[in-house]
Amino acid sequence: MKDKNEKYDFIIIGAGVAGLAAAMYGARLGLKTLCLGYTHSSELSIGGVITTTNIVENYPGFIKLSGSELAEAIEKHAKSYELVTILEEKVIDVEKIKKDFSVKTENNEYIGKTILFATGTKWRKLEVPGSNEFENKGVAYCALCDAPLFKNKIVGLVGGSDSAAKDALVLAEHAKKVYIIYRGQEIRPEPINLKRVYDKVKIGKIEIINNANVKEIKGSKFIEKVILDREFNGSKELALQGLFIAIGHIALTDLAKNLGVNLDKKGEIILDHKTSETNLPGVFGAGDCADKPFKQAITGVAEGCTAAYSAYEYVNNHLKG
Amino acid sequence: MKVTVYGTKTCIWCVKTREFLKEHKIKFNDIDIEKSKKAEKIMIKISGQEGFPVIDIGGKIVLGYDKDKLRRLLAKK
Repeated sequence: MKDKNEKYDFIIIGAGVAGLAAAMYGARLGLKTLCLGYTHSSELSIGGVITTTNIVENYPGFIKLSGSELAEAIEKHAKSYELVTILEEKVIDVEKIKKDFSVKTENNEYIGKTILFATGTKWRKLEVPGSNEFENKGVAYCALCDAPLFKNKIVGLVGGSDSAAKDALVLAEHAKKVYIIYRGQEIRPEPINLKRVYDKVKIGKIEIINNANVKEIKGSKFIEKVILDREFNGSKELALQGLFIAIGHIALTDLAKNLGVNLDKKGEIILDHKTSETNLPGVFGAGDCADKPFKQAITGVAEGCTAAYSAYEYVNNHLKG
Repeated sequence: MKVTVYGTKTCIWCVKTREFLKEHKIKFNDIDIEKSKKAEKIMIKISGQEGFPVIDIGGKIVLGYDKDKLRRLLAKK
């Protein structure tokens, strides 16, 4: 157990780009800052969700780099300040104690004057028969991680967002053919990625099945086919050797909820978007766990920086009266 | 005890696993399955699944970057 008297001005829960940027900015404002991230295959690593993105082309200052490279650069920037401590520890509880907050991890407890929830998201699971049974047996969620296993195989990709399109493009680099299975009328990535997808459609590498849902996943030891809710090429059965799921994310906000932070219907933290404040004094939110509809690395970083400034104001004006 | 990591260069959890082992000064065989179909088949056979990374620690299999399990198994070395 660490010394409980060691009090931090700013404790950030989550070490994705929003949390890391907040740490950097907090230190610049003179706040003694602790950033806690947790790494496990089922959670997002330090660096956050961007580390599962193959190529980032929309972060100002970098024409093209990998998600991991961007996260590492921001982590390195944050670590360059002596006031910043970044630890790989899983937070299990946050509690208000008088004016301060107690943050308990699996092995330690830390005290902070302010808290920032930058806890990110987890992948939304496809809830159909066979999806759990065949997870890692053909059903996968991280195209960048697992695409190489599907070299020259036929795979499906469920989803129609920009992330889904980017995943399909990664898969198309490895697979023989990629079917994008989308419930809506037309996939809706950024225009630049839509064009890239259609370039692959033209050469037969990608085929889009619109207005369709996967109803069931079937196979023996590994996935062999999916059942669609409408016919495609005369059959509801589609033979596949892999199925990637890109149907969005679920905010990881249980810790915030338990503390009394207000969440919206989607379970995302409701923020004052001018200040990144939550309904609780001294508690802030940033990044993908918050209630902004447009979630990008650049917007998460901005919210983190805003939260750091608001924490600085809170520590220096509110707490000092 | 022989330690083998099956993974790719792009998978973040494969990267983290290698970093963890290096940090703890554990020597390991680093198998990039993108370069070897045979290694891919071995990985699927020993783990019964297709997720990365797979870590073989003296015949005990760890699926994914599970630091607690890695620590437990490597402590027995």
